Parts: sequence; C-alpha cells; structure tokens
Amino acid sequence: MSTISQFALLFIGGALINNILLTRFIGLCPFFGVSGNMETSMGMSLAVVFVMMMASTATWVVWEFVLAPLGVGEFLYIPAFILIIASLVQFVEMYLRKSSPVLYRAMGIFLPLITTNCAVLATATEAAKPGFFKLNIPVGASLSLGQALIYTLGVSIGFGFALITFAALRERLELASVPRAFRGSPIAFITAGLLSLAYVGFSGWFGL
Amino acid sequence: MNEWIRTFRQGIGIENPLTVLMIGLCATLAVSTQVQNAAFMGLAVVFVVTMSNILVSVFRNAIPSEVRIPIFIVVIASFVTIVDLVMKAFVPGIYQVLGIWIPLIVVNCMILGRAEAFAYHNKPLLAIADGLGMGIGFWLVMVVLATIRELFGTGAIVWFETTLVRLPAGYAPPSVLLLFPGAFLVFGFMIAGTRWLGERSAARAEARACRR
Repeated sequence: MSTISQFALLFIGGALINNILLTRFIGLCPFFGVSGNMETSMGMSLAVVFVMMMASTATWVVWEFVLAPLGVGEFLYIPAFILIIASLVQFVEMYLRKSSPVLYRAMGIFLPLITTNCAVLATATEAAKPGFFKLNIPVGASLSLGQALIYTLGVSIGFGFALITFAALRERLELASVPRAFRGSPIAFITAGLLSLAYVGFSGWFGL
Repeated sequence: MNEWIRTFRQGIGIENPLTVLMIGLCATLAVSTQVQNAAFMGLAVVFVVTMSNILVSVFRNAIPSEVRIPIFIVVIASFVTIVDLVMKAFVPGIYQVLGIWIPLIVVNCMILGRAEAFAYHNKPLLAIADGLGMGIGFWLVMVVLATIRELFGTGAIVWFETTLVRLPAGYAPPSVLLLFPGAFLVFGFMIAGTRWLGERSAARAEARACRR
C-alpha cells in the first residue's frame, strides 16, 4: 500500500470510523462537561488537537529512545506516559501565558482539564506502545512517527468534530420540553446515543 | 463502626459515582457489552480505588499539598501497573478484550477524585470504607448495564463459555443494544430511572411527614 493512501486511511479511520468519543467512549468527561455551549467546545477542541499532537510526539520519542532500549517499557509505560503528558501540559500552559495571550485566552483554561482526559493518554499510548493499535491497517509491528502523528491528528479532529456537533444539538435541546425525570443529563445521553447511531453508518468503510 | 458503614453505603447509594456523580463514565460505557468483561473491569477498579485510598490516607500527613496531584497520579499508576501485569498473566483472554482500558484506569476521574476529596482528609479505616463503597457502587452499575445489554442484545448471558441465562428461542435480539449507541441509550434510561425512583421516594417521605 502506498504511503499516501495509508496516511489517508489512518486519518479517516481515526477521525470518523473509530471516532474516539462516539464509537469508543474515550474522553466522555469533557464531552458531557463542556458541551453546554458552542464557544467553549470550540476552545476545548482546539486545545485537544494541540495537546494530543504534542503528547503523541513526546510519548513516541520516549518509548522509542528511552523505554524500549532499556527494556523497562512493559511495566513503566503507564506512570511514564501520564507523567510526561501532565508535565508537558503544565509547561505549555506556562509558556502560552507568557508568550501568546491570544492563544491562552482561547484555550488556556482547558489545558489543566485535559491532563487527566483519557482521550489524550489513550491516543498517545496507541501511537507509542506496540500492541495497542487496533485498526485494521497494515502498518507493521509499530507505528512510525509520521503514521503516529497522522493518526493522532485524525483522532483529535474527530474528537473536535463530535464535540462541536453535540454542543450545537444541546443548545437547541435547552429550548425543548423534556419529561421531568429526563431533564439534564439523561436526555443528553440519549441525544448522544442518537448521534452515535450516525457513526454506525461509517463502520465497514474501506474494510476498517 | 457506624460511621464506617455510613461511608461505605454512601458510595453505593446516594453518592454513587456513576448514576449520581457521573464520573468515570468512559470505561463503563465501553466495556459493558459483556457481563464477564464488565465484572473484571469493575474488580480492577475496586482494587485500584481501595488500595490508592489506603496509601494516600496513610501518608496524608507526609504529602505536601502543593505537589499532591502528581503524587496521587504516581500512586494510582503503580497500582494500575500491578493490575495490568496480573491480568496479562492470569486472564489473557479478557486482557486482550479490555486492551487500552486497563492503562486508562489511571485517568479514571473517580479514583483521583476519591484520593483528593476523601482519602487525603480521612483516617485509613474510613478511606477503606469509602474506596470499597465507591468501587462496589461502580461495579454494580456497570454489571447491571452490561447485563441489560448482553441479555437483550444477544439473547443470552455467557460467562466463560457457559450460558447462564437464555431468552426463549422466538426472541430476535436487536443488535443496536450491543453497538455503541446502545450504551448511551441504555445508560440514559438508567439514570432517568434512578432519578425517578429517588424523586418518588422523596415525595412519599414528604407525604408521610405531612400526614403526621
């Protein structure tokens, strides 16, 4: 398979067919927490794309050049990855606050929240540690850095897309009359269920 | 002892992490397609939340509050590593299915939340009660959700290749329950149901109080 079509498959597979929110249920806390209005969900999506790309790069490099050569990856990968991500996010937050007030205003408050977002850890682990990547794409034993980054980009854009669609739906849901027991989160779950029905349609595309 | 039981019951009932506080949802929805997987995932969570509660509570006076979050994360990550390696060694089939969900227990907000909100301020004995209560509350909801989805989605409940319950042969299982939308839909109805029950019992208690 040529490199281009492999990259395209990784991107689409990560973004739509295996959408991280609606088909794999990873990262649901912000999905229900910040989807109240459009503006915050856009800031959150931007921050997630940014952090995920950096987290995957960092964990990939650490796995490839530190954990795997030393032979300690099998039992140190969980603490190592979560600490890398947490400190990276802290560092980025400090840097943004100093250097770019515009960007900081757009996504600064979401950065600490993202540290413990499972979506970031999940994608970084899949990108870096062999054996966790489950898509049916022939990529060899482990992902190369380029493949890992394209896959991460796909996943994070899929995350943002699902979050923004859901926020738009919830804004309209505010005006609807809902039975009393269903008000608030139960109706949000049912809406998410209907939204994820649409993603059932994507499964099976390109044999993924 | 009374306080111990009260703390224990809180996690199962009025402060249930899933149906009331709604934290740590991701794992619940994702692995609830089979009772067997849900039960093992729930056990892993019970173990991690109880052990991390104990450790955090024992060392609560030694942990400086400025760096408490990274310390909690390292404690939780070590226990998750134990679970990860134990499951890989003894139940490899289930480990294969759960896959990424085992490392993701680290970022399960419920566990960090209990360490921060409860264990850091309470004695070890109470922290055990809280960890067990929260863990079992989590386990129960997860297994109930998985039972509904597996029973009505496949028509039978299978535990390690033995069929426990089977619906009558004429039942045509709707596969949507097993697909990902099913998790959201069933869970939405479950919360609505518990909320309705809670409101009804509150209203009844009020009516009884008025009559007196």
